[in-house]
Amino acid sequence: MGHKGNMKDQNKNSAAGAGRHQAGAGDPLGPNSEIGRKLKQYYNDLVSYEVPDRFSDLLSQLEQTESALKKD
Amino acid sequence: MAVSAGFKSDLLGSIPSLRAFAVSLSQNADKADDLVQETLVKAWDKHESFQPGTNLKAWLFTILRNEFYSQMRKRGREVQDSDGIMTARLAVHPAQHGQLDLEDFRGALEKLPEDQREAIILIGASGFSYEEAAEICNCAVGTIKSRVSRARSRLQEILQISGEDDFGPDAISAQVMTSPAD
Repeated sequence: MGHKGNMKDQNKNSAAGAGRHQAGAGDPLGPNSEIGRKLKQYYNDLVSYEVPDRFSDLLSQLEQTESALKKD
Repeated sequence: MAVSAGFKSDLLGSIPSLRAFAVSLSQNADKADDLVQETLVKAWDKHESFQPGTNLKAWLFTILRNEFYSQMRKRGREVQDSDGIMTARLAVHPAQHGQLDLEDFRGALEKLPEDQREAIILIGASGFSYEEAAEICNCAVGTIKSRVSRARSRLQEILQISGEDDFGPDAISAQVMTSPAD
């Protein structure tokens, strides 16, 4: 399972790293920008919503379908 | 090849950002969750085309975005939820941030054309680079840049934010230095 963790970190890093090059005083959506701050607030608010069970149920279903197919 | 447990848990982990992007695009909570569901099913079906170690989030965002536009084409753009009730219905959110003007911002964002809204969300909120956003939107980097810039001006206009420019505090000090009465 170590691999799983790595992959996640890599994804996170690449997204964060890619964003970083545009940060700073010259970044029109950076911390100096009112729009930039609001945008992040709006988005982080959405990200923080609780995820309904239907999605983990769906993934478990997909997983079960797959293992059922394999047995046939 | 079987779908690995790691892939499944990575999918699970990306659901919050997928939902945020879906709401930003569709401006409708129910539609957003349908989009996320469709995205997860598609991602599962074509997991073999995902290259481990590359950006899973970008890959998923691309699928979701394609799904959004193909649904919109199918439906002929009928339903634009214009009552602003979409995000309110997304969930009962326990703690309000005490920020009155987040509602105003949401309303302003809603007024943007989809292409501008998605560009400014990808760059300003989802943490993608211009290059990644261009790939997700299947367009040129320059196109993303101009959409972001148009979106930003439009938001400033709607929200009547002034005195904000591309150059940050340096420009302000430059102004101070060059504005003595002469």
